[in-house]
Amino acid sequence: MWKDRVIGGEIISEYLMEARKLTKEFEVSVGMFKSRAKIRAVDEVSFGIKEGEQIALVGESGCGKSTLGRLLLGLIKPSSGQILYKGRNIWRLSRKEFEEFRRNAQIIPQNPYDALNPTKKLSAALIPQILRHKIAKGRSEARKMALDLLEMVGLSPPEDFIDRYPSRLSGGQMQRVVIARAISVKPQFIVADEAVSMLDASLRVEILDMMHKIGEELKTTFLLITHDLGVARYFAKNGKIAIMYLGDIVEIGETEEIIRNPLHPYTKALLAAIPVPDPKIARERKSIPLKSIDVPSLLKPISGCKFHTRCPYAIEDCEKIKPELRLVGNRWVACHLT
Amino acid sequence: MVQVKEILTKALKKLVYDPLKIILKSRRGTFGLIIVLFFTLMATVGPLIVRYDPSTVNLSEALQPPSLKHPLGTDWFGRDILAMLIIGSQDVLFVSFVTALITTSVATFIGILSGYMGGKVDSALVAVTDIVLTIPGFPLLIVIASVLRTSNPILLAAILSITAWAPLSRAIRSQTLSLREREFVEMAKCLGMPSIHIIFSEILPNIMPYIIINGIFAFTGAIYAQVGLFMLGLAPYKSQNWGVMLNLAVNYAGAVFSIRQASLLAPAICIILLQVGLVFLSGSLEEVFNPRLRSG
Amino acid sequence: MRWIVKRIITLLTTFYIAITLTFFLIRLMPGNPIDVMINQYMQQGMSMEQARIMVSSLYQIDFSKPVWEQYIEYLQLIIRGNLGVSYIYTGVPVARIISYALPWTVFLLSISITLSFVLGIILGMFAAYRRNTKADHTITLFSTITNAIPNYVLALIFLFFFACVWKIFPMRGTRDPRIPPGFTLEFISNVFHHATLPILSFLITTVGSWILQMRGATISVLGEDYIKVAEARGLKGKRIMFSYVGRNAIIPLFTRLAIAIGYMFSGSVLIENIFTYTGIGYYLTYSVTARDYPLMQGCFLITTLAIILSNFIADLLYGFLDPRVRIER
Ligand SMILES: Nc1ncnc2c1ncn2[C@@H]1O[C@H](COP(=O)(O)OP(=O)(O)O)[C@@H](O)[C@H]1O
Ligand SMILES: [Mg+2]
Repeated sequence: MWKDRVIGGEIISEYLMEARKLTKEFEVSVGMFKSRAKIRAVDEVSFGIKEGEQIALVGESGCGKSTLGRLLLGLIKPSSGQILYKGRNIWRLSRKEFEEFRRNAQIIPQNPYDALNPTKKLSAALIPQILRHKIAKGRSEARKMALDLLEMVGLSPPEDFIDRYPSRLSGGQMQRVVIARAISVKPQFIVADEAVSMLDASLRVEILDMMHKIGEELKTTFLLITHDLGVARYFAKNGKIAIMYLGDIVEIGETEEIIRNPLHPYTKALLAAIPVPDPKIARERKSIPLKSIDVPSLLKPISGCKFHTRCPYAIEDCEKIKPELRLVGNRWVACHLT
Repeated sequence: MVQVKEILTKALKKLVYDPLKIILKSRRGTFGLIIVLFFTLMATVGPLIVRYDPSTVNLSEALQPPSLKHPLGTDWFGRDILAMLIIGSQDVLFVSFVTALITTSVATFIGILSGYMGGKVDSALVAVTDIVLTIPGFPLLIVIASVLRTSNPILLAAILSITAWAPLSRAIRSQTLSLREREFVEMAKCLGMPSIHIIFSEILPNIMPYIIINGIFAFTGAIYAQVGLFMLGLAPYKSQNWGVMLNLAVNYAGAVFSIRQASLLAPAICIILLQVGLVFLSGSLEEVFNPRLRSG
Repeated sequence: MRWIVKRIITLLTTFYIAITLTFFLIRLMPGNPIDVMINQYMQQGMSMEQARIMVSSLYQIDFSKPVWEQYIEYLQLIIRGNLGVSYIYTGVPVARIISYALPWTVFLLSISITLSFVLGIILGMFAAYRRNTKADHTITLFSTITNAIPNYVLALIFLFFFACVWKIFPMRGTRDPRIPPGFTLEFISNVFHHATLPILSFLITTVGSWILQMRGATISVLGEDYIKVAEARGLKGKRIMFSYVGRNAIIPLFTRLAIAIGYMFSGSVLIENIFTYTGIGYYLTYSVTARDYPLMQGCFLITTLAIILSNFIADLLYGFLDPRVRIER
């Protein structure tokens, strides 16, 4: 029944990864007597990512970006809704098919200092999965591949690195190894969760460039999660940006279009916060008088549009009716006012 | 061949030479190591060179003061106290070692299983651990030992482990819980590595230092319980054990007590030395595993 | 409320399991005590039937019934507080022996644990404030060493020197039977005279652990920001030391109090034996050596119950002191 639905103006089969009404609830204990409460970290999110696309997911901390990323990777089970990989629900795959998906969807976690086992040499971070997925025929071939991977992420000569412990690497070098680790199984889809936010500004560009290059060379689809619109714009310059707010995706579109002409009030507010080199755009862009700076708690569900408590343009409908993502021009926006 | 030799030298350096250097840097570590080595030698080599058969009774030589022939004197039955001490150390160390091995293995297994699996398995194991933690360990030991009446050292070690695993298991569970959230574990999962790999290659190496140090504490705990059990006379007398010596010393107290002190003081000092040595050694090992603790 | 109820359920389950454990240990293990006792009576010349009736009357359970009926009967008896009749002290109810013995153990343990806890906190805080001085090193070394010494070994050494050699303290017993019990100075000082060595044995072997824990806790609290803020605001050193640092460092130690109480009950078995101090621990080993299983079962259950209760009190205290237990995110 879903088969023929058209989302984003395209037929589903064109998507590599797709979310349909994807929801994740967490049980948390609150208050004096540890009563149980449910929070919706991801709230009926639907969107798709095309093969080879480079997309950035942007939102404030705690809005559910990592949860959405981990749902797409099949690392946690959704409370409801579906994740489709090449049009097939990943939680309905056979064991063998799931293993194939598992290999094809990788994560680059946020903290490079934590993404490598401190008790193991780099070889142990690269070789076991190559053997497990039979990408190499034997140990020596796998080791050769691991050396190539290190070379590819700019650690040369690789022979100097492969038998080191992570403690003997710098933060930037660690992040390179982590990237090598993620691409070691030749995945089609990579979620990079705040992959550069722990790094120095000078290193960020290098790593972003490298991921970009890998994406193009290996035809890997990237979803970069970040709270920094500037990073998103830099990474997804030829791709797309998705804006997330309290568990909802509120706007998706081509990066340059979103930057030049944000439609959702929340996107406007986020954009107002980043510096722009172009004075013409800067003059055109007005700052948004938000009603409140604080992000509301997920513990109290908000009716209607979740942004209405802070939105300066909110009308009565915004408090009552939840806006769906609608196609506006070339863009998807969830706002009653567009 | 050259490679093998190189690997061996490297391993030797990493596993023996480097830790030794750190241990010997501190006075406590040196002391602990010497004590532990001393008692290990006493329990392994000692019985081979001991001159007296401690089980033969020779009343004509009873209660002799220290002499060249009997460096620590003799007890009420004319047995050489030094010989008894040496023979006794064999049992104390062996049973305690096996107990520590069982305790840490069980605690590690249950703790990791509980923390890694989560869900119902975890809840059930946590409930069991909580209950075992509340049941008084030593009294239960007494009750079980009295019913089983065993002189088999392995079985004795198993009894000694019955409640001892619970606190360590709880600690290992919480370590596993926090390791499970670490990004290198998540990444390994994402890469499709099986649970076996994640437990043995990602989680276990990171708690290994903790397990080893707690293994030493399990060892001291086992010495405490084992010697205590024998001192109360609640385990069969068949074996030679420092606890048996203490038991005899207490039972033959009263008048003779004040005359012959060596049979009481010798095992008491041995136990104290061994326990303190083990604790010092574990403190030093903590420095080996955790570079931040190293001073200077 | 929820966590209190949860705790109570866990503790009741624990007690129930302890009860069941003793039942099956005594009844079903190979060479189980019931058979042994029946044999003992038969060796004294009774017939099998007589011996079984005799044993049944000690436990007040009919052993000719199937095991599960015995078990139900046994549970009912325990709920009514009937622990059977002692085998060695012929005809005396176990509950009566326990009511004589328990106060002595509680007396010994409560004084030891209070002294140890208070002294540990004071010395631990002192060491933390004098971090890396000679005083600190001395206290830490003392704590590490005494903490490693088994309490019964120290008790034996004390017994040997203070009671046998120098005769400063009595060797055995809880009190001098010639002095009539009552609120007289003579009686009370006599009781304390007898309790000194056991208490010292406990105190010295447990205080080190409190000192080390308190030292660590204080040092970590001292490193926290709000202490620095309080100092910056010009609060007096003493006030910070006691109301801020002290309070925050002690709280985590309370959780360990319950565990410590459990260990002390275990230790009391050994200490009471060495000083022939007729508390629960003494009767427990005595009953085991004398194969007086009704008494053994009673002593074991009452020890478990005592630990469960002190756990519960420690939990409540901790929940009361630490707001984080209640307001948890
Ligand atoms: N395992 C979890 N258990 C309970 N709550 C969680 C869990 N993971 C995330 N959350 C909650 O879900 C919300 C979204 O978290 P997350 O996806 O990490 O946000 P982001 O990555 O955008 O910062 C937060 O309120 C967070 O506290
Ligand atoms: Mg995140």
